[in-house]
Amino acid sequence: MTHARFTRRHVLAGAAATLGSLALGRSAHAKGSVTAAMYPGTWEEAYRAHVAPALKKAHDIDLEMTPLFAVDQIAKVQAARGAPPFDAFVLDPGPRVTGIERALFEKFDARRLPNLGRLPAGMADDWGITVAAQVVGIGYNPKKLPRPKGYPDLLKEPWVSRLGMTGFQTTFGTVSIIEIAKQFGGSETNVEPFFVEIKKVLSKVAAIGAPASMPALFQQGQCDITYTNTQTVATLRGRGVDIEFVKPESGAVAFFTTMHIARGSKEHDNLYKYFDTVISAPVQAALMQPPNNFIPVNRDVKLASDLPMASLDEMAKFVRHDWAKINPLRAGWIERFNKEVSK
Amino acid sequence: MRLRPAEWQLVLPLALAYAAFFLVPLLLLVAVSAYADEKITTPGFAMWRKFLGDPFTWKVIFDTVKLGVYTVAATVLVGYPLALVYLGAGPRAQRVILFVVILPLLTSVVVRTFAWIVILGREGVINQTVLWLGLAPAPLRLLQTEHGLVIALTQIEMPLLLLPLLSVMSRMDPSLRDASAALGASRWRTLFRVTLPLSLPGLVAGCMLVFASSTTAFISQFVIGGNRLVYLPLLIWQQSLVVYNWPLASAAALTLLVSVGAGVAAIAALGRRSRAYAI
Repeated sequence: MTHARFTRRHVLAGAAATLGSLALGRSAHAKGSVTAAMYPGTWEEAYRAHVAPALKKAHDIDLEMTPLFAVDQIAKVQAARGAPPFDAFVLDPGPRVTGIERALFEKFDARRLPNLGRLPAGMADDWGITVAAQVVGIGYNPKKLPRPKGYPDLLKEPWVSRLGMTGFQTTFGTVSIIEIAKQFGGSETNVEPFFVEIKKVLSKVAAIGAPASMPALFQQGQCDITYTNTQTVATLRGRGVDIEFVKPESGAVAFFTTMHIARGSKEHDNLYKYFDTVISAPVQAALMQPPNNFIPVNRDVKLASDLPMASLDEMAKFVRHDWAKINPLRAGWIERFNKEVSK
Repeated sequence: MRLRPAEWQLVLPLALAYAAFFLVPLLLLVAVSAYADEKITTPGFAMWRKFLGDPFTWKVIFDTVKLGVYTVAATVLVGYPLALVYLGAGPRAQRVILFVVILPLLTSVVVRTFAWIVILGREGVINQTVLWLGLAPAPLRLLQTEHGLVIALTQIEMPLLLLPLLSVMSRMDPSLRDASAALGASRWRTLFRVTLPLSLPGLVAGCMLVFASSTTAFISQFVIGGNRLVYLPLLIWQQSLVVYNWPLASAAALTLLVSVGAGVAAIAALGRRSRAYAI
């Protein structure tokens, strides 16, 4: 048997070929394409099915997606220090505020979006554009439980022993706990009443789970009531799960999902075309259809009948939160939640 | 052994890769943990003081190590008899056993973990069987409990125990066991005086892998254990990705590294001691 001899020339040639192929990949990406961070699951599937073909057809731009949750996007861009691994963020309000504070976005010029006029006022600012709304309330199984009226019911029988909870890691979890706290005298910045009340019933609570596992826990009957958003309820119902959305007496919570240009991205022109495609009426209408179940932000789209509002303007009456106040308190709340609920 | 120049050159790529992708990030981790504020501007050990000064942290460290110990014990209890079956089986049966052992590795750990929600859930397979047999009046709570998590991790980590164990066992000389029997030793005596000592290197290696993997199995711990069971990987995730306190996350990560390293070292020491005892 003869041994292949590796000379320095071989090694250098191999290294050059590897680097060359990487550079080629980069240049292919640079022309006529944008790389967008995207929430894994429903968002990614829906954007692949509707946004990518529309963007290609209208502007001949390829949409590449990097599946990442909001918090992961912030962490990745912060760690990349000026060389972002993607061009566009998609974020909930909490991480959005963090992104602004840590200067992770390019300045945004909403006037470059032809469809901007079709959105209600206040949907764009110097940092980004709103692309979807989320409405949070209570999801429950009507075959197993009576209809709850509001958040205080979650901590009473017969609901509490079938309750599935998540902590402060997600936007919907944080705002729901704030709303529960408010029912017992708390406020946006004071969730102490929640901890007092939950302690009384903690042993009865059916599940305190990872946010990503909540739909599976509900589907498997581990819990029959939980705080959640309309999109999750509609998606589960589409899979044949018995679940109804309830708008709590104190009001459903609304928050918006926004998109932003990552600081250091060179794809500004293509990105504005991408954002404009996302907020265009045909794409927003397609995203609203099952199994996607997005809440659109374009006025030209007639809202689905199962949504808890007839028009986008009604959302102004929904409960909103100031994440600039919430963010600094969140670390303490997470720590407290760990200590209170862990065995 | 003295390496000739040609040999150390061969080691160089791996050594450089280790330095670049393991050693440098590890040093960065140590450096970041030595900052006192979230924005990483003021050097200091405030985060270490906050982290280690909190009794809850010590409870979490203890629980994490305990989870590893329980999982190692459960995998050995279930896995070692299977390895003995493998030892006594013919070549075809051995191939089947090996395939069955490797099979779970062909599925993603995320899929396996979610499958355990279906099995351990209130309306899952185990609870339906328990209720059908009348063993309990109501469904048992298995999800989000330590024993439920250990059951799931036992299956998830089993290949890590069995692969090194089977590899050692397949090289074991069968005539040694025959000799033991011919000299009048009972089956149990042969097991404890011949088979077990000879299989110890594989068993110890498997236990170290299971311990390291189960104590750091963030997905399984969080999905099956939920928020009721808090382990070090959950704290690291919360601090690094939810609240962006990287100095605290680094302190927690280094604590996990030290805890797991201590556990692995303890298993190795135990292995050495028992080998000396067996001989």
